[in-house]
Amino acid sequence: MEAELREKAKELLGSGEIGVVIGFGWNKRKTRTTPVFITKAEDTDKLVFNAYCVNNLSVYLTRKYPDVKAMGKAAIVAKGCDIKNLAVMIAEGQFKRDDTYIIGMTCSGVGYKQELIEANGGELKPEIMPVKCHNCDVRNPHISDAVIGETTDFTPPEEPVGMVFDKIKQIEAMDAKGRFGFWEEHFSRCIKCYACRQVCSLCYCDRCITDKNTPQWIDSSAHARGNFSWNLVRAMHLTGRCTFCGECERACPVNIPLNVINKKMAVVMEDAFDHRSGYDPEVHPPMIVFDIENDKEEFIK
Amino acid sequence: MSRIGVFVCQCGNNIESTVDTGQVASDMKEMPGVVFSCTYKFMCSSPGQEMVRQAIKDKRLDGIVVSACSPHMHEKTFRKASESAGLNPYKCEIVNIREQCSWVHHDTTKKIGTRKSNDLTRMIIERLKKNKPLKKINIPVNKKALVIGGGIAGIQAALDIADGGREVILVEREPSIGGNMARLSETFPTMDCSQCILTPKMVEAELHDKIKILTYSEVEKLDGYIGNFTVTIKKKAKYVDESTCTGCGECMEKCPFKADSEFELGLNKRKVIYTPFPQAVPNIPVIDAPNCVMLTKGKCGICAKVCGPGSIDFEQKDEFIEEQVGAVVVATGYDLMPNERFGEYGYGKIKDVVSGMQFERLASSSGPTGGQIFRPSDGKVPEQIVFLQCIGSRDEAKGVSYCSKICCMYTAKHTMLYKHKVHDGQAYVFYMDIRAGGKRYEEFTRRAQEQEDAMYLRGRVARIYERDGKVVVQGADTLSGTQVVIEADMVVLATALVSRPGADSLAQKLGIGYDKYKFYNEYHPKLKPVETVTAGIFLSGACVGPMDIPESVSMGSASASKVLALFSSDEMAREPIVAAVNKQRCNACWDCVVACPYTAIEKEEVKDRQGNVIGWNANVNEGVCQGCGVCVAACRSKVVDLAGYTDEQVFAAINAF
Repeated sequence: MEAELREKAKELLGSGEIGVVIGFGWNKRKTRTTPVFITKAEDTDKLVFNAYCVNNLSVYLTRKYPDVKAMGKAAIVAKGCDIKNLAVMIAEGQFKRDDTYIIGMTCSGVGYKQELIEANGGELKPEIMPVKCHNCDVRNPHISDAVIGETTDFTPPEEPVGMVFDKIKQIEAMDAKGRFGFWEEHFSRCIKCYACRQVCSLCYCDRCITDKNTPQWIDSSAHARGNFSWNLVRAMHLTGRCTFCGECERACPVNIPLNVINKKMAVVMEDAFDHRSGYDPEVHPPMIVFDIENDKEEFIK
Repeated sequence: MSRIGVFVCQCGNNIESTVDTGQVASDMKEMPGVVFSCTYKFMCSSPGQEMVRQAIKDKRLDGIVVSACSPHMHEKTFRKASESAGLNPYKCEIVNIREQCSWVHHDTTKKIGTRKSNDLTRMIIERLKKNKPLKKINIPVNKKALVIGGGIAGIQAALDIADGGREVILVEREPSIGGNMARLSETFPTMDCSQCILTPKMVEAELHDKIKILTYSEVEKLDGYIGNFTVTIKKKAKYVDESTCTGCGECMEKCPFKADSEFELGLNKRKVIYTPFPQAVPNIPVIDAPNCVMLTKGKCGICAKVCGPGSIDFEQKDEFIEEQVGAVVVATGYDLMPNERFGEYGYGKIKDVVSGMQFERLASSSGPTGGQIFRPSDGKVPEQIVFLQCIGSRDEAKGVSYCSKICCMYTAKHTMLYKHKVHDGQAYVFYMDIRAGGKRYEEFTRRAQEQEDAMYLRGRVARIYERDGKVVVQGADTLSGTQVVIEADMVVLATALVSRPGADSLAQKLGIGYDKYKFYNEYHPKLKPVETVTAGIFLSGACVGPMDIPESVSMGSASASKVLALFSSDEMAREPIVAAVNKQRCNACWDCVVACPYTAIEKEEVKDRQGNVIGWNANVNEGVCQGCGVCVAACRSKVVDLAGYTDEQVFAAINAF
C-alpha cells in the first residue's frame, strides 16, 4: 500500500502538475507519524500510511496555511473521514474540486491517539480505535482522484455504537440542571488555548469570531461565562458542518468531550434536515440556507 | 464628546398618563454626551418639529433622540426635520415609549413607565453615539414595465402605463389575452355583455405601439431589483410563425382532430390547432402539441398544406427571451376550486351539475349553445334550475374559510339570465347570506328576487341525486324551518374562487409574499394595497384575493400609477440601511449568499494588478439588499455589518441597559 502511495506521489510530482503532496511520514524514532510536505519526487519514500495516521491533514488546505498554498497545486493523502472535511470545504467555496488532487486511502481504522498504539506495541486493537472508526461508512474513499489500497468490505453497524453515543444518551436522560452541570464541569477546564480551532479544517475563518473585539462577541478570559460562550459558539458554528473527525477532542489538552457535543448536533441535523455533512461537495450545509421551495415548515411562507 | 439632544413627547395624554416625561427629560440630561433635553405635548406638531430644528441649530447638536411613538409613525417626520436643520437624518433616532411603554403600563403613579422610558431612552442614546452619518443610495431606473397576466387587470395596467408613455411587456400564459372576463356572458349589475366591453380593450392593447404582447408565455425567472429587473420569459412553441400568419383560420377549419376546449371548460370541443375564442388577441392559432398527430406521430400535417403563407412550423422550439424592466405588475388572476372536490353535490357523476363558470358559457351568445340554455346531458331546456351558493367558500372543511365575494352577485345575475332566456322556468337559490356590498349591488339582488321571480331559500343542500332524468335537490329552508325537495333539471354550483395553480412558485420566483391560500400579500392591506414587500413589484386583480371586475380594473390602474410615479425620474433614492462586507476579512464561505432571501449577495472575484483571479469575496448589491440582516447573523466571523444597525450600535444599546 505504501509502495503504491509513493509511486502515485512520484508520478504526480513528476508530471509537474502537482506542487506538493501532503501526507504522513515517520518521526525520527518511528514512534509517531507527522505531517510531511513532499515537493520533490525523490522524497516520496518518506510517505507512510498506517494506524498511526490519525491526523486529519485537510486543515493544511485552509486559508490558515498560505505557505502551503504557495507550494502550488496540492495532492492530499486522505482517509475517508478526512475526505468528508474536504467535501464540506468544497461546498463552502474554500477551494474548487479541481484545485486539489485527492489521494484516497482505503483504511481499516486508526488509533484514537498515537500514544495508545505505541503503548500497545504498535498494534491496533479495536479498543483503542475511536468511535468514528467503528461506525465508518467511508473506509473506501467516497470522493477521490485516485484510490490507494484494496477495497475493504467493512459494513458499519446499523445503529451507531460507541462511547460517544452512550454518553449522548446518558446526557439526554439528565434534566436541564444536570446537563448544564455536566458541561459546566467540563468547560471549566477550558484554558482558551484554541487548539480545537487550530486543528479543525472547518474552523478556517481568517478572523475567528472570538478574535473580533469591536464589539467583543465572546469573552476571551477563561472564566465560566467566557468558556461557555466560546465552546457553545464553536459547536453552533460547526452544526451541520462537523464531520465527526474527532481532531478537536484529540487536540484538547484538558480532555473536554467535544466529540459528544459535536456529534449530538450532527444527530439533530440529521433528524431535522436529513443532512449528513461531508458526503456531497455540492450541498451547502443547510443550517442557514434560504430555500422556500424545499422548506417543510409552513410559517415562513 | 457627543452633543445629543433628547426630545420627550407627551403625546397629549397618551404617554404622559403613565410616564413622567419631565422626569425622563431631566434624567436623560444627566447622561454623558447629552447637552439638551426637553418635553412637549405633541412633538410631531409643527411647533414641536420647530423646537427640534431650533435646538439642533442653537445647541449645535450632532444627534437627536426623540422618545415618542413607534418609528413607523414619525421616524420620517423627525428625520426630515433634522435634515432641514442641517443634521444627517440617520443621526436621528426614535425611542418608542408609547406602544412599547405607556400603552402597556397602567400604573398611574408613573413609576414603572418612567423607569422603563428611562431605560429605553438611555439605550438609544448610547446606540446613537455609534451612529454614522449615512447617505441615501441613488439607483438608476429602467423605464419599461412587465405585466404578468393578460386578464382585465393586466390589460388595464398595461394600457394605463402605455398611455403614460412607457413601454410595457404583457405576458400571458394562454394563447390569447382576455383572461376569465372573456368567458363571462353578461356582467353585474349593469348586465352589459362582457366580451363587448372587453374586446375593445384587448384590441387597444394589441394596437398600442408601446405594448408588446407575449402570449403562450410564462415568466421563467426574475433577477435584479427595483428599477433594474432582468426577466427571463419562456415563450412556448406555438408551431405557427407569428410574423407571417394572417389569422385566416383555414388551418383550424381543416384540422381533422379535436380536443376538449379549455376555454369552454369542457362543454365543447376545439380543433387541435386553435385560437381559444373567435375574438382572440392576437388572432394567431397555436398547435396543442400533446394532441397533434403530426407532432406526436409524424403523420397528418394538413394545416401546413392548407396554410397560404406557409406559417406552420413543426420544428419550432420553446424560446427564452430576456428583457430589462424597471417595474413588474403581477395580475395573474384566480381560478375556481376544482369541481371534482364536490362529489357530495354529484359533480362529475351527474352531468347536469355544472359550475358557475360553465353556466356563463351556456348563457353566453358566443358559447357552445349560442346563448341558449340547454342542459348538458340531453340538451333539454331546464324548467327548474337550482343555484347553490358558498360551494367551498366559507367552509373550513374544504380549506377555504374566506368568502369568495362575487358569487352572491353572479348567482343573482344567473337567475336573471335564465329568466330572460327561459320565461316559464323557475330558478331556486340556496344561500347562506346575501352579501351585496357595492354600488347598485343590493338593488340588483333585490331585483332578482322581486322582479325576476328567483326563489331564494336560506339554507344548505344536504344531498343531490338523480331520479328519472331529474336532479333531485334535498335541502333545508332554515327561515321556514322546513325540508325542501326540488326536482330540478339542472344544478349550478357557485364554487369558491381560489388562487391559480403555481401561484406559489411564481411568488417565489418574484420574491413576493403570499398567504396560506396562495393569494399574494399586499405590503399593507389598507394603505399600500398594490405594493408588495419587494420594491418595484405591484399587484393587481384577483391574484390578491376574490375580486370583481370594477375592483380589478381599479387595481390595474392603481398599479399603473405607481409604476408611472416610479418611472417619473431617471434615478430613485432608497434607504441606505443595507449590509456591507468587510472584504479584507471575508472567508468566501458563501453562507451569506445562500442565506440571503433576496439574492442580494454575489460572489465577487478578487484580482491582482495583472487581472489574475487571486481570491473571492462576498459582495452586497445595494440596490437589491432590503436590510433584513440575515447575512449578519449567518456570518461566522462577523464580517458583514448592517449600516444603521451595526453590531457596535446594537452592543452599545444592550450594554446601556
